[in-house]
Amino acid sequence: MMVDSDDHIALAAEYALGTLDANERAQVEAMMSGDKDFSAIVRSWEHRLGALNQMVGPVEPGPELWERIRTAVGHSEPQAPIELPQTSPPVAPATAAPSPAVADSSSAIGLTASLRKWRMIASATSAIAAALVALIALGLSMPDLLPDSVRPRPRPQLAEVKPPPAPKPSAQYVAVLQKEDGSPAFILTVDEATRTFTARKVGASSEPGTSFELWLISDKLPKPRSLGVIGANDFTSRPVLASYDAELVKSATYAVTVEQAGGSPDGNPHSAPIFSGKLVEAVPPAR
Amino acid sequence: MLTPAELVWLIAAVAKGDEAAFERLYAATRAKLFGVVLRILRRQDLAEEVIQETYVRIWSSAGRFNPGQSSPITWMASLARNRAIDVVRKRGEASIEEEPAAMEASSDAPDPLARREMTEELKRLLECIGRLEPDRQKLVLLAYYNGWSREQLAAKFETPVNTIKTWLRRSMMDIRECLGI
Repeated sequence: MMVDSDDHIALAAEYALGTLDANERAQVEAMMSGDKDFSAIVRSWEHRLGALNQMVGPVEPGPELWERIRTAVGHSEPQAPIELPQTSPPVAPATAAPSPAVADSSSAIGLTASLRKWRMIASATSAIAAALVALIALGLSMPDLLPDSVRPRPRPQLAEVKPPPAPKPSAQYVAVLQKEDGSPAFILTVDEATRTFTARKVGASSEPGTSFELWLISDKLPKPRSLGVIGANDFTSRPVLASYDAELVKSATYAVTVEQAGGSPDGNPHSAPIFSGKLVEAVPPAR
Repeated sequence: MLTPAELVWLIAAVAKGDEAAFERLYAATRAKLFGVVLRILRRQDLAEEVIQETYVRIWSSAGRFNPGQSSPITWMASLARNRAIDVVRKRGEASIEEEPAAMEASSDAPDPLARREMTEELKRLLECIGRLEPDRQKLVLLAYYNGWSREQLAAKFETPVNTIKTWLRRSMMDIRECLGI
């Protein structure tokens, strides 16, 4: 049977959608392990449909879960606490307020359980509702795309609310700057559109009285070009790549040297590169 | 949420066994993944088990993540979602009565952030789903977001399972054609 037959494509799509039963799912997984092309079709569907997860509101799992995961992967002792960025706003479903019964609960455990249950329900409904409302919103700007039965009735206030244009993501490049076979010291990301680099310090700290300096090295350039001192803070961002050719930026080697505090005084590196790496495309440009 | 590029480097560091990066990756993605699986499993304990298995898998298979094929969050969410669906299918079906009546669009407000943050990919997909018959739009969204089986969808839509099967297949093929893949 041809792997790109409609039956295969529909099977892959239904696997990604999630509607197959246990036996059919096992069958698809067996087919994927033996057939790279089929596997790629499934992955492609998962990727396409995965966009829907953008509508899913975040819900915090229990705080003890991390310990369980850490133990399960065999990390022996807790890592030093890391200041983690707040990745999502506190759960605050927009659909309803907690019922008085929840607010009046006298037991702390009962309250937690009720809140969790309530959050689950809010979470269960909001994504589908948001997706359907989004369909309607799209219908407002492109009513021809929707069948008559779901075209929104004229509602002036609503009609003025149009989704602002989404920022168009440009290509992102990333390099891991490290010692040979060592752990990463800096992660360098480059935004193709703005030619801005961001150096994220991950494992390196400079000796007192010295600074790390980032260099761009290319066979198209007579000597390394300084991109400035990095690593004073966790993140260093500079739009300094704009003066270089795009191909050169993508193909160059990025290297870090140890310089006197504040950076090289004469524009030349004074140590061998201690960390280096090359860019790979991490996020393709929007089509 | 961290940017996709930041998640890519975290996964790259995890692939090298960097435990601190793993913790950061967990902190940055756990709530999204938990939200995805909780809606399918409807139970805190089961959802946490699935999330635990998912991150153990991310730890052991981070080196297999291919940034050219998928975005980091989609890759992670697919691992979690597939595991959640395997669990509900193997347990037999979660009770359909647990679905709150409030799933109708008219009775719920959109998350205003969701629209602003929509990627082009999502807009295009929703555009294509929006071309389906209204019932089939709901069918596809309920299947994806709630992880419902064909039997559960049949009960919801008061339609024979075989008809649901046909609708699902046609809907997916229509979406495929609309997306041009």
